[in-house]
Amino acid sequence: MRRISRWAIMWIAAVLCVRAAPPSVFAIRGARVVTVSGPVIEKGTVVIRDGLIADVGASVPIPADAWVIEAEGLTVYPGLIDALSSLGMPEAAAQTAGTVRATSRSQQPAPAPAPTPPQTPEAKPAQGPEDRPSNTSWLRAADLITPGDSRLETARSAGFTAAVTFPQRGIFAGQGAVIALGGERAGEMVIAAPAGLYLTLTTAGFTSFPGSLMGVLAYIRQVYLDAEHYRLAKELYARHPASVPRPAYDRALEGVLEAPRVLLPASRAVEIDRMLRFAAELKLNAVLYGGHEAHRVAALLKKSGVPVLVSLRWPERSRDADPEQVESLRVLEFREMAPSTPAALAKEGVRFAFYADGLWSQRELVRAVRRALEAGLSQADAVRAFTLSAAEIYGVADRLGSIEKGKIANLIVTDGELFQEKTRVKYVFVDGRKYEPLPEAPPEEGGRAEPSEEVVQ
Amino acid sequence: MRELFVCLVCVASLAAADNTFLLRGATIHPVSGPEIRDGMLLVKDGVIAEVGTKVAVPRGVRVIEARGLHVYPGLIDSGTQLGLAEISSVRETVDTTEIGDFNPQLRAIIAVHPASEHIPVTRANGITTAVTLPSGGIISGQGALIHLDGWTWEQMQVQAPVCMVLQFPVIQTRQERPGARGPRPFSEAKRDYERRLQQLREFFEQARRYQKAKLAGSPEFRTDARMEAMLPVLEGKLPVLVHAVRERAIREAIAFAESQKIRLVLAEAREAWKVADLLKQKNIPVILGPTLELPLEEDDPYDKAYTLPAELHRAGVKFAFASFSTSFARNLPYQAAMAVAFGLPYEEALKALTLYPAQIWGVSDKLGSIEKGKWADLIVTDGDPLETRTQIKRVFIQGREVDLSNKHLRLYEIYSRRP
Repeated sequence: MRRISRWAIMWIAAVLCVRAAPPSVFAIRGARVVTVSGPVIEKGTVVIRDGLIADVGASVPIPADAWVIEAEGLTVYPGLIDALSSLGMPEAAAQTAGTVRATSRSQQPAPAPAPTPPQTPEAKPAQGPEDRPSNTSWLRAADLITPGDSRLETARSAGFTAAVTFPQRGIFAGQGAVIALGGERAGEMVIAAPAGLYLTLTTAGFTSFPGSLMGVLAYIRQVYLDAEHYRLAKELYARHPASVPRPAYDRALEGVLEAPRVLLPASRAVEIDRMLRFAAELKLNAVLYGGHEAHRVAALLKKSGVPVLVSLRWPERSRDADPEQVESLRVLEFREMAPSTPAALAKEGVRFAFYADGLWSQRELVRAVRRALEAGLSQADAVRAFTLSAAEIYGVADRLGSIEKGKIANLIVTDGELFQEKTRVKYVFVDGRKYEPLPEAPPEEGGRAEPSEEVVQ
Repeated sequence: MRELFVCLVCVASLAAADNTFLLRGATIHPVSGPEIRDGMLLVKDGVIAEVGTKVAVPRGVRVIEARGLHVYPGLIDSGTQLGLAEISSVRETVDTTEIGDFNPQLRAIIAVHPASEHIPVTRANGITTAVTLPSGGIISGQGALIHLDGWTWEQMQVQAPVCMVLQFPVIQTRQERPGARGPRPFSEAKRDYERRLQQLREFFEQARRYQKAKLAGSPEFRTDARMEAMLPVLEGKLPVLVHAVRERAIREAIAFAESQKIRLVLAEAREAWKVADLLKQKNIPVILGPTLELPLEEDDPYDKAYTLPAELHRAGVKFAFASFSTSFARNLPYQAAMAVAFGLPYEEALKALTLYPAQIWGVSDKLGSIEKGKWADLIVTDGDPLETRTQIKRVFIQGREVDLSNKHLRLYEIYSRRP
């Protein structure tokens, strides 16, 4: 039996090798290797075989069948991970029951035809939590991936090799997936799923429940109470199918129970405080996202042990703001201090990762990261926040996030230190496949780098 | 019908008897001059006949003893919706706004409801005259100066129209609708504003063409109520009351008024301090909104609204106080009082409630001070009317003593009796 299965594995491996027709063995020789998990190797070699890192070190033998990349003067980093993303998600994916106001987070054009998820017919406005409004926790990013999404290539050219991508709409938007930003078929791209449940505090306007922030919070609380009851009822039924009534199947609660972690929005210090309390009350395995004022509450975050995903879309004055509008000190301070968040979190020892929040192009990404570096973040911490920390937060550090033997061969090769304006990404490896980045598009001002909406409370 | 006639005769004869009297013993504060202690004030047929320490008293005149009390001219609220709106949330009781952007033909005076509960409440605090204003659109209609007493709007009318109300277009990026996220894009708001400003210019242009056509007496000329209403504005006879809160709007309103050669009165100009010198130079009066307000900007000093009147006074700008309210019009004297606490000379505050509004509205021959020949709009108090503890003892409007009972007093009495 065991022998058969071993044969099967070898056969499958052979098939996979055949499918990845171009050379599947690479050796990057003579490069500076930033392993992240260990010390930097000043002159080392990385061997890639069949999508994995086969070997790394200062003096490792180069396999005879390897495509050798002479990387004298170049640097190898683990591929960057966009820790909260909509990459690969068709915009139209999550239009479901409901009355959720469209909050277009990114202004990307919708990618071409997408596998439309099962849709519930246009429902009446929700009257209460029992109608499960804005709840598509059963949507799975892994099922919705559109490999044709043109943004994937933009992000990959900037050095992203993986993203944790989520359905975007509604309060319980859906289950994320860790995906590789390369590959021809959607199925190949999935590294781990489900990665977590993405929550927003979207109100449904005045026409449908929940129409207010307090309603949203009360609703989320009720859904978790319902989910716990549902879990107990299902367990009881499984043990005594002959004597207990059968609980009605509820896909919205199935999704909630299935999620290994929950992503909660919290940007302002008060919002972070609120969400930490909320997560503790509901006993959630929480990850906060936003985090622009986390520098004020770093100690609180450290104590809670809750990791933070920091958006790189720093708050800015809208380009199309009234030039005569007087801005309050509070707003100016929020803007000024936001980029100091990563340094403050690193200093306090809070686990954090970056997400691009739509700034996937090389130029925008570098500009945003530089602001954090200028505010005191070390280069090593910045790299870690984009790689190993993100992998740790999502529980995939055994596969991603550093250059170690046995990890997925997601690597980037640059001609200088990462996050420097002049540094160019020369090669990108995703699952051991080599990509060459697109030439940088000419600068276009006022395009999609519209600063994040600033909702001051 | 005959009964009605008899009744009217009775009222007329009563009134004739009522509005002639001598008020004596009080300290008279004419506002236009120094106070007169133990003064005498003779009112004949509703008009002040004599005022001084010693006046010739006709035989048989009714004497009102007011020893220890004070007499002031009735206060004027230069911006209200008194008589037009009763309960703002009850649509049926609100008659301030018409559909459409250009409604110069609307006359607030005919919409005034003489039995509004707000009128006796306001009057009981010493306010005898008010400007009541239509609102909405760009040109909202014609404001009216009314006495806060009378059975009909005709009786209440002091001067109507007293102004043309213009809501100057502004670049509005702040979103006021509920649920709005963040500000509107500036470029979009600016386009919107430019379109509205263009409409306003075109409307004035149209009115000028109408004026010319009328003068030419062409046979095709057809009377248009909207255009007719604009004629006194174009001729500079009727001032335009322009609502402009922020500096940009104020500057643009001034430029617009200059280009159109119209008389400008600014309303609710909360950033007038930024353009005080210009206002002084152009001699543009300002109707100030409530003083008891929060600052306009988050980081402004807490007393920005309190000090605005003092700043305008120092710059030499003429201004009057207004409540821009109905239910809070009664607090008008305290709005002025706050300005005094924050640097406005007391006499100026009192003038900005009496003489200055009368001058701004062109009725200083009748109202605004206690002088021979002016109307006997008087309040008799036991102290300074700007103090909250002061009681208004008697109020006269054109020499007629008016009832000071009102809804607040009735409720006070009812709930005082509650065990």
